[in-house]
Amino acid sequence: MSKLGVYDVAVRYGKVPALSDVSFSVEEGERVFISGPNGAGKSSLLKAICGAVPTSHGRIEVDGDVLNGRSPEAIARLGLTMVPEGREIFGTLTVEENLRVGTGIRRDKSAIETDIDEVYQNFSILGERRHANAGALSGGQQQMLAIGRGLMTNPKLMLVDEPSLGLAPNIVDQVYETLVNLQKDRGLTLIIVEQSSARAARVGGRMVLLRGGNVVGDGDAAKFAESDLLKEAYFGQDKSEVPS
Amino acid sequence: MNAIPQLFFDAMSLGGIYAMAALGIALIFGVMKLVNFAHGEYIAFCVFALIVPSTDAVAVMFLGKAPAFVLIPTLLCVGALVAVGSEFFVFRHMRKATPVAMMISSFALGFVIQNTLLLIYSSRPKAISLWPELNMPIDLIGASIPLLQIIVILTTLIVVVTLALLLKKTRIGLEMRAAAENFTMARLLGVRANVVITGAFALSGALAAAVALIMVTQTGVADVRMGGQIMLVAFIATVIGGLGSLPGAVAAGFLIGAASVILQGFLPLEARPFRDAFLYTLVIVSLLLRPDGLFASNSTKPRV
Amino acid sequence: MAQTHKQKRLSAWSTPVLLIAILLVFTVLITVFGDKSLARMAAQTLIRVTFVVGLWIFVGNSGVVSFGHAGYMAIGAYCSAWLTLKPQMKGLFLPDLWPFLANAEWHVFPAAVASGLLAAFVALLSGAAILRLSGIAASIATFAFLAIIYTVYSSWEGVTGATSSVVGLARYSDQWVTFGWASVTVLAAAWYANSSSGLALRASREDEVAADASGINMYRHRLISLVVSAFFTGVAGALFGHSLGVLNPSSFYLGVTFITLAMLVVGGIGSLTGAVTGVLVLSIIIEALVRMERGMEIGETTLALPTGAQEIIIGIIMILVLILRPAGLTGGRELRLRIGGR
Ligand SMILES: Nc1ncnc2c1ncn2[C@@H]1O[C@H](COP(=O)(O)OP(=O)(O)OP(=O)(O)O)[C@@H](O)[C@H]1O
Ligand SMILES: [Mg+2]
Repeated sequence: MSKLGVYDVAVRYGKVPALSDVSFSVEEGERVFISGPNGAGKSSLLKAICGAVPTSHGRIEVDGDVLNGRSPEAIARLGLTMVPEGREIFGTLTVEENLRVGTGIRRDKSAIETDIDEVYQNFSILGERRHANAGALSGGQQQMLAIGRGLMTNPKLMLVDEPSLGLAPNIVDQVYETLVNLQKDRGLTLIIVEQSSARAARVGGRMVLLRGGNVVGDGDAAKFAESDLLKEAYFGQDKSEVPS
Repeated sequence: MNAIPQLFFDAMSLGGIYAMAALGIALIFGVMKLVNFAHGEYIAFCVFALIVPSTDAVAVMFLGKAPAFVLIPTLLCVGALVAVGSEFFVFRHMRKATPVAMMISSFALGFVIQNTLLLIYSSRPKAISLWPELNMPIDLIGASIPLLQIIVILTTLIVVVTLALLLKKTRIGLEMRAAAENFTMARLLGVRANVVITGAFALSGALAAAVALIMVTQTGVADVRMGGQIMLVAFIATVIGGLGSLPGAVAAGFLIGAASVILQGFLPLEARPFRDAFLYTLVIVSLLLRPDGLFASNSTKPRV
Repeated sequence: MAQTHKQKRLSAWSTPVLLIAILLVFTVLITVFGDKSLARMAAQTLIRVTFVVGLWIFVGNSGVVSFGHAGYMAIGAYCSAWLTLKPQMKGLFLPDLWPFLANAEWHVFPAAVASGLLAAFVALLSGAAILRLSGIAASIATFAFLAIIYTVYSSWEGVTGATSSVVGLARYSDQWVTFGWASVTVLAAAWYANSSSGLALRASREDEVAADASGINMYRHRLISLVVSAFFTGVAGALFGHSLGVLNPSSFYLGVTFITLAMLVVGGIGSLTGAVTGVLVLSIIIEALVRMERGMEIGETTLALPTGAQEIIIGIIMILVLILRPAGLTGGRELRLRIGGR
């Protein structure tokens, strides 16, 4: 049984379709990059998986449990966490409070404090500013906080939407290094939206390519980086853009 | 007779009542963007829960007969239950509705509660005497202050501090604050929407019960209309304080209390009946000057 | 073939015509088959149509919920009383009126128009301030406005009689007069909604940012709609005074605010048809409930609803509609004939 199964999923905002016929599955411990041009539906896909937007068609499963129709808080309890696009940290809460919001669903209460220390080890700046208001952090620091906050729910499956957005390259490296290490240590399954195929190839993993709401490619990230498929996905003629 | 301390205590005790009522409204707005017009009727409901249902002019104590250590917690629970009940029967079904639709339905709910009270207790104001000994004056820094005023001020302080601690130090408090800022994100982190919202309504209802107790002790009447007046003022305090901001609501409550005591004290005699008109005009003026509330910092984005 | 521009305009104008036809049928049926009390109920209903359609001109086009329109109604009602009451009466009960008003002895019709104008003027002043706000803050400010008007009118002893009722107004508002005013209001509402100001306002309501970008001056159009709207609510106030013959400030406070908002919401805020439908449906329900409160004989026993049950039931209906059909009974659609086209 796959860790995550997405079958024929469609999402629409009002009448505007954002995803259609999307299917793929992810095995336990795998690292999958979702890539594609702006508006391809990457964020919509992640939101559909974590229950933030409803699906209009299809089925999503985690460990064989069907997610459709469940509330986001119920889905979070299945060990799935989301680090959304734009971070969405709680700016009026302190750094440490941000980390604690998601700990309510954990059964291993005793491990919470050691996990918080671990986050502070991975991102030392967060430890230094633990009592500061999160709204006062820089964009990069907020990204670290968002990842740390997701980890504090002790997830088995983590969805990360564009962790590199707006970060300096060396910080991006640091964020990825941390993610990869965490994955090793905890056996996490990771799904990461990443626009840069070069970056994805360097980190290594599988890549699912989206375009116009459809899956147009699925394979090894390193191979993708060399192929034309990627270029086509980004620059190719979109049918909907052809005047009829 | 020393007028200044007298005015000060009047302003503080009136402001305390407004602040508590405003807190009840701000809590709910913060969590679910609901402008709850029914809040005043929660207060009225709690007042009438003290007396035996009847349309007679004389009130017979019901819950009001109980000793204070039973009465106070029970009434707080009654308030919490009414508020939670209204969420369960009405607002829960409107989670996806616009804030305007929710606001109108709370207005309708307030009307339903008010008319239910009218039906059961009739529209005649009833005299109730709850803890009359508290209205006994005591001498303090040259002014003769009813003991109750001091109790009101202390109660307000206790309530505000307790609420602050609750929000700051408890799990549910943390979840409420997170949900108030970004409900969807909080839910993605496993915060249960129903728990947070029910919690906010329960707190808000308990605050309404506290206001009810103080008002009854102070005025000695139970009137179906008493919720409407206080609700309007509390509302305005919430808006002036910056909708959803709890410290803002408290500060604005005291400010309005002070403004109305000062207007009452210094307006020319023939203008005094119009005091409330002046008060509401001040409100519109303050909204015009600071639409996001007097205490909104410039960095916070508008929440409405 | 699609409708031409001209056909579309005609089709839009069919809405008020159809609505007026419905009101006419309602009035005729009640005049022919009903008793005196039903005729009074018809007049009350048509006054409410005037009020609610007037309210709709602002709320329906701007999307800002107003709690303040009962205030404009009060202004209209008292203005008409000042202009039409016999000077001796005014000398006795409203001694502080200015000489011009104290001596006035107008006919009701010009007085009603003047009442509308006064309400519109006050709307211009109050709206100039309130409408600088948006969304919920604006709604709360309208509430504060209502409270101001209520406080002033229920305290201004020598001018409004304060909380004691003003009596002796000419009974002018029978079902035909009120039908006439309701029809004029419906026509005006349709005219405003299809005017460039109304169209701009509705466009801006859909998308504030886009409207701002396209240079629509929302503030100005909101103010225009409020002034037009207040004129008709003011007239409705005058008609109200001249239907019962008695005025009291408490008639223009939370009760009427509630019931008229309920009508607007139940019918559907999104359309003129919704405003009229809401008034008719709720008025009929209210009448039925009032009769039930008086008691119904079933066999030996008399069944009566307790007094006050009416408001409770209306409130519950309103909440149910908001939950189950948030766009109201009409769902925001207009009743209209399709002229030309396919
Ligand atoms: N809340 C929304 N309402 C309406 N349409 C939306 C909404 N969110 C996304 N869309 C539309 O759905 C489509 C997919 O959007 P999505 O955010 O999933 O793209 P994306 O691949 O994440 O893009 P980006 O790389 O820019 O983040 C877009 O056409 C977008 O306009
Ligand atoms: Mg995206």
